[in-house]
Amino acid sequence: MSFISVENVKFSYDEDKNYVLNGLNLKIEKGEFVALLGHNGCGKSTAAKLLNAMFIPDEGVVVVDNMITSDEKLTYEIRRNVGLVLQNPDNQLVASVIEEDVAFGPENLGVPPEEIRSRVNVALKMVDMYEYRTHAPHKLSGGQKQRVAIAGILAMKPRCIVFDEPTAMLDPNGREEVMNTIQVLKELGITVVLITHYMDEAVMADRVVVMDNGNILTAGTPREVFSQVNLLKKHSLDVPQATELCYKLSGVGLKFDKMPLNTEECVEFLEGVLK
Amino acid sequence: MTRDIALGQFIPGKGIIHRMDARVKILLLITYIVLIFCAFNFVSLGIVTASVIAIILISDIPVKMYLKSLKVIIVIILITSILNIFYGSGDPLVQFGIFKITLEGIYRAIFVTVRIICLIFISSCLTFTTSPTDLTDAIERLMKPLKIFHIKVHEIAMMMTIALRFVPTLLEETDKIMSAQKARGADMESGGMIKKIKAMTPVLIPLFVSAFRRAYELAVAMECRCYQGGDGRTRMKVLKINKLDVACILVTVLFLVGVILCNIFFAAKI
Amino acid sequence: MSIIEVKDLSFTYGINTPFEKKAVDDVNVCFNEGEVIGLIGHTGSGKSTFVQMLNGLIKPTSGQVLLEGKDIWEKPKEIRKIRFKVGMVFQYPEYQLFDETVYKDISFGPRNKGLNENEIDLTVRKAAKFVGLSDKLLNKSPFDLSGGEKRRAAIAGVIAMDPDVLVLDEPTAGLDPKGREVLLAQIMGYHKERKNTIFFVSHSMEDISRIADRVMVMNKGRLEMFDTPKNIFAQVEKIESMGLRVPQITKIITMLRERGYDLTDGVLTVEQAFSEVVNLLKREGVI
Repeated sequence: MSFISVENVKFSYDEDKNYVLNGLNLKIEKGEFVALLGHNGCGKSTAAKLLNAMFIPDEGVVVVDNMITSDEKLTYEIRRNVGLVLQNPDNQLVASVIEEDVAFGPENLGVPPEEIRSRVNVALKMVDMYEYRTHAPHKLSGGQKQRVAIAGILAMKPRCIVFDEPTAMLDPNGREEVMNTIQVLKELGITVVLITHYMDEAVMADRVVVMDNGNILTAGTPREVFSQVNLLKKHSLDVPQATELCYKLSGVGLKFDKMPLNTEECVEFLEGVLK
Repeated sequence: MTRDIALGQFIPGKGIIHRMDARVKILLLITYIVLIFCAFNFVSLGIVTASVIAIILISDIPVKMYLKSLKVIIVIILITSILNIFYGSGDPLVQFGIFKITLEGIYRAIFVTVRIICLIFISSCLTFTTSPTDLTDAIERLMKPLKIFHIKVHEIAMMMTIALRFVPTLLEETDKIMSAQKARGADMESGGMIKKIKAMTPVLIPLFVSAFRRAYELAVAMECRCYQGGDGRTRMKVLKINKLDVACILVTVLFLVGVILCNIFFAAKI
Repeated sequence: MSIIEVKDLSFTYGINTPFEKKAVDDVNVCFNEGEVIGLIGHTGSGKSTFVQMLNGLIKPTSGQVLLEGKDIWEKPKEIRKIRFKVGMVFQYPEYQLFDETVYKDISFGPRNKGLNENEIDLTVRKAAKFVGLSDKLLNKSPFDLSGGEKRRAAIAGVIAMDPDVLVLDEPTAGLDPKGREVLLAQIMGYHKERKNTIFFVSHSMEDISRIADRVMVMNKGRLEMFDTPKNIFAQVEKIESMGLRVPQITKIITMLRERGYDLTDGVLTVEQAFSEVVNLLKREGVI
């Protein structure tokens, strides 16, 4: 059984059954890093909130580690296991001191004080914000705030973290900080689900799932997905420039064993051809 | 413009009063307020004033800061003391028409002035030495017994915490929206009162809309972090009453007793 | 002819406080009429402060901004007039919408400008058309629009003032690729017709390289570089030393050049790169 499994899920925000998700099927394994792509309104943010029992499916089931999200008794156990980091870092921080904010989750769970203290310290060190523990959130940069938000989730000791466009409001430095943090989490064995618009972030994932119109358009390894340049362009999704160039070159007869996804791979490939 | 407003005026430090438990500080402040109003003659008022000055000196906060805190309220102090001069009964020292100045009036004015100043100094001492979060925390814990009257103590404290957190964010946002509307030619500086208030609509509406959006998103974020109200919650920071707090409580009690004794043994002036 | 001339422009925050910080440091530069200027620099480089001095939202601590040869602070009481000539779209402009209908909201600027009802109607409809908002949407409440539509309505509110200079501070931030594409196309369409000067502040080097005639690079409050995108992005090392990136495609061609392959520098688009590489492959006899 997969760690998270979404089975034939339909979900709508209104009574008229305008389904935002229309029979979605998705399986996520323990320790996996999955990127969810798709443009606004394709249902990916809705999917995120279904994974931690913020939303309950109208039809179908979401099962997290053998717990069905529609079982109200399990709601908080599921949320502890599946943390959710949202887009706007400002609106996720509750307290006016960083360490107290990070303590908010474990406090809600009734963890004993000494253990909260050690969890907070560990979490802040993991996101490299320990020296800011007594600062006020509004003095931090966007990337720093988002890292504090991640620490707040980490302090609940989750097994999976879902990121809903965590970098959309950040500048390039902030994006890099957050993406580095996400990679650290993956190395620690935490399951990561990353919802994003940025292809260069999706490239880091083990598996990419492209959504459109409340369902899955295509899925696979980043290389498999981004090789389908035409399909992605048709659905107005970005393709890394490196991949686009190579895709065009394949049109004039160049052969590819594996589609280059970043600058280095592209340069290496072209050098190989030219030699 | 509004960016650098410091909230609660907390000044970090390592002095004796900084290290005291916030709950003890609040209770002692209340005791002191009672003390200040219990001083009925010059001797007891002198003792209270001396102790307030002593507290100011050991508080590890520049005296300048205390004087600044008077600035806002100096007009009120002046008006009340002048009014009091004219309110005394007894033989007039000087008289202009219906206005007369009596010895009692002068005493009253001195008492009122000293009391207000002591009051402001001692409460400033609390806000200078205690961070807003410690303060809300202490208030929550002190008010816990009120739960039996069905007062939602935890919810009130949570609201205070969130308000403290979001005031700087919203101030910054006000700045941004004001700039944006000025860039669209909004005129917020000229005109009378009514025109100015009207000119604020394009700022206030987006500000409210944004505050509600933030509230909604924050609620989602809090639920994601398993928030389910005050029941079953623990706290990271454990407030502990230590020797220092006990010593301070003892000293204050001594003062209280001293002032009461002075009131009994020296004739009351007023 | 230069439309804006900036002379010895400096701005310092919080003078005489412990937070004193020089945000813009002695900038001298001229902008031509009808140019699209890309403005890049990482957060805190002073670019936001710089653009806010162009329309008098921030008063310089020293130096001058000359608009059509005249100091904008010559008559401080009339600074509001400058704001109709130099329009400014802030980051996330959708958060400034406030009126009952989109139409009324867009007309806020023109009304402040003192236009009569006929002129207002004309300019509002024209602005809405530029950003692709239908007449049906104009009568809706701005709060009922989708995220992308709100953004476009807010931009229309500035375009409707018909400014000679339009400053856009990260107009595409937070949009999905489709929304970004559409908005960029609309801005360029508007520029083509109105032929005014546009400042485009962005973190996306790909966007900047596509639309800018000249690029300003700011770093630590100073103007470090000001040149065509081709010449700017050809200096990969210098750009990267300021914590900025060059477009991925530029980087690929530069790396190939460094390894000794004969390619033009400052390649900005995939199409350009493609033809460059195809030519190289043909010369080398690979295809």
